Amino acid sequence: MSVETSDVRLERYDLSTAPFGAMVGIGRAALIVVPLILWELCSRFGLINGFLFPPPSMILYKLWVQSGPIGNPPYAIWWHVAYSMLRLLSGITLAVGIGTLIGVALGMSRRARLVFQPIISILMPVPTLAWTPVLLLLIGIDNRTTILVVFLAAVFEMIYIVASGIEMMNVKMLWVAQSMGATRWQIFWRVIIPGIFPYLITGTRLGTGYAWRALIAAEMLAASSYGLGFMIYDASEYMNMDVIYGGVMLIAVLGYVLENVLIGKIEAATTEKWGVLNER
Amino acid sequence: MPNATLSEPAAAFANEQRPRSMVYRATASVVVFALPIIAFLLIWEVAVRLGWVDATILPPPSTIVRRGWVLLNPSDLGQSILLAHIGVSLWRALISFALAAVLAIPLGFFLGLNKTAYLIVSPLLSLLLPLPAVAWTPIFLVSFGQGDLTIVAVCFLGAFFPILYSTIQGVRGIGRHSLWVVRSMGAGWFDIFRRVLLPGALPTLISGLKLGMAHSWRTLVAAEMLAALSHGLGFMIFAARSYMDVSTMFVGIVCLAVIGLLIERAVFGSLEAVTIRRWHGTGKLGSNR
Repeated sequence: MSVETSDVRLERYDLSTAPFGAMVGIGRAALIVVPLILWELCSRFGLINGFLFPPPSMILYKLWVQSGPIGNPPYAIWWHVAYSMLRLLSGITLAVGIGTLIGVALGMSRRARLVFQPIISILMPVPTLAWTPVLLLLIGIDNRTTILVVFLAAVFEMIYIVASGIEMMNVKMLWVAQSMGATRWQIFWRVIIPGIFPYLITGTRLGTGYAWRALIAAEMLAASSYGLGFMIYDASEYMNMDVIYGGVMLIAVLGYVLENVLIGKIEAATTEKWGVLNER
Repeated sequence: MPNATLSEPAAAFANEQRPRSMVYRATASVVVFALPIIAFLLIWEVAVRLGWVDATILPPPSTIVRRGWVLLNPSDLGQSILLAHIGVSLWRALISFALAAVLAIPLGFFLGLNKTAYLIVSPLLSLLLPLPAVAWTPIFLVSFGQGDLTIVAVCFLGAFFPILYSTIQGVRGIGRHSLWVVRSMGAGWFDIFRRVLLPGALPTLISGLKLGMAHSWRTLVAAEMLAALSHGLGFMIFAARSYMDVSTMFVGIVCLAVIGLLIERAVFGSLEAVTIRRWHGTGKLGSNR
């Protein structure tokens, strides 16, 4: 995602602090439960196409069977989730590492910025998934292709945020460290890394959002055996609607957990430790 | 007068000096920006020519440009393959974006103003917001089959949630006080909407629209790869894979990037400039606070 479009932060909805009236609670439950019950009944009694809309109970049952030892292959759901998470994690780790390095280089050195900023700014607007066919030819249907797509989806955000984080840093901190005789190495670890840490976390959160979207699409296009994206796309070839719906539900829940619970925990822990508040 | 003859060319010189230095500075910044890109392309070209990189996998930029020229078919633009692909892609992206905006903005205003409704819907929204729009593709593929309907539906979902979310945020960001003040002075609902809600929510709303268009454009590529029958840039790129036609793939990638950038900068940049400058004076986002 490019810089200009990312300024609307996908903030977390604060569920816990919201004034929780009885009506709101009932409304929330009803909004999820009532459509599900209606769907179930309509599907059971043949009011809607039972093939296109299998009843939710069947979908959950299918998920249950597929995640057990009698699934095909056994414990299939767990494998799909594990593969997806592995790809996501490797891609993000790569993006955070390389993105931070390039971002620090761009933020610290005027020369590096002059050379690399134009190249980055022409690569950034390319939709990440457009690289998939090229990578497919280059590498083939392989984990490396999906991991690289995830990497590409997250890395530009990291570079941009880290570079602008360094630009925002107070130059006086560098002067103080230098005047007290800190080496370059010490300045890097003691001044710059703690200084950009909040930005690093923000970048990771935004990058994870983009990476998750890219991962699912990349798995549909470029995975051969496992992964949630592969699971639902493969199911559409065999018209297994219950697997597709189950997969979409799983993707929604996992996305929610990733974006809100996991990243939120990391954010809370780090901001507490470093004593800096994340700008929102 | 000797004085006048002296000062005239001096004044002319001073007048000329200023624009020239501005032009000079503009060209210099363009050159500084373009130089690394040209160097990058040159290194790529040379690396391929010298055989360090396999030309069938990574064709040199000159081959890509030539391929783009052939696809564009400038002698007969009516029969241009590239323009046909671009046209179909743009049409799909714009239709789904327009649909999303028309549905999401009123809903966003409603949810932004009605706190109870917002609280009830928010768990569902936070579940649907991080869900990748592409994940709906298999459902639509089975229901509608391959074709425009599936692609437009997926892009619609890609654009809908960002627009909805930022409309809600924009409306909720407006201070209650300004609403109360205008209402106490006897403004009707239409006046409140036109003079308070719309201008107040606009900066966030426009960045939401921008984000929605970007999502729609990015989702389009994936949806076209998965579900297009005959046309579209995503289809062109993915079909070229079967023929190992890498230069066509790169032509498509360049087109996608350029069009995405044009939409973002030209269309939304000018929209932002016009509306926000008109309502907020300074032309800066967030100056209404």
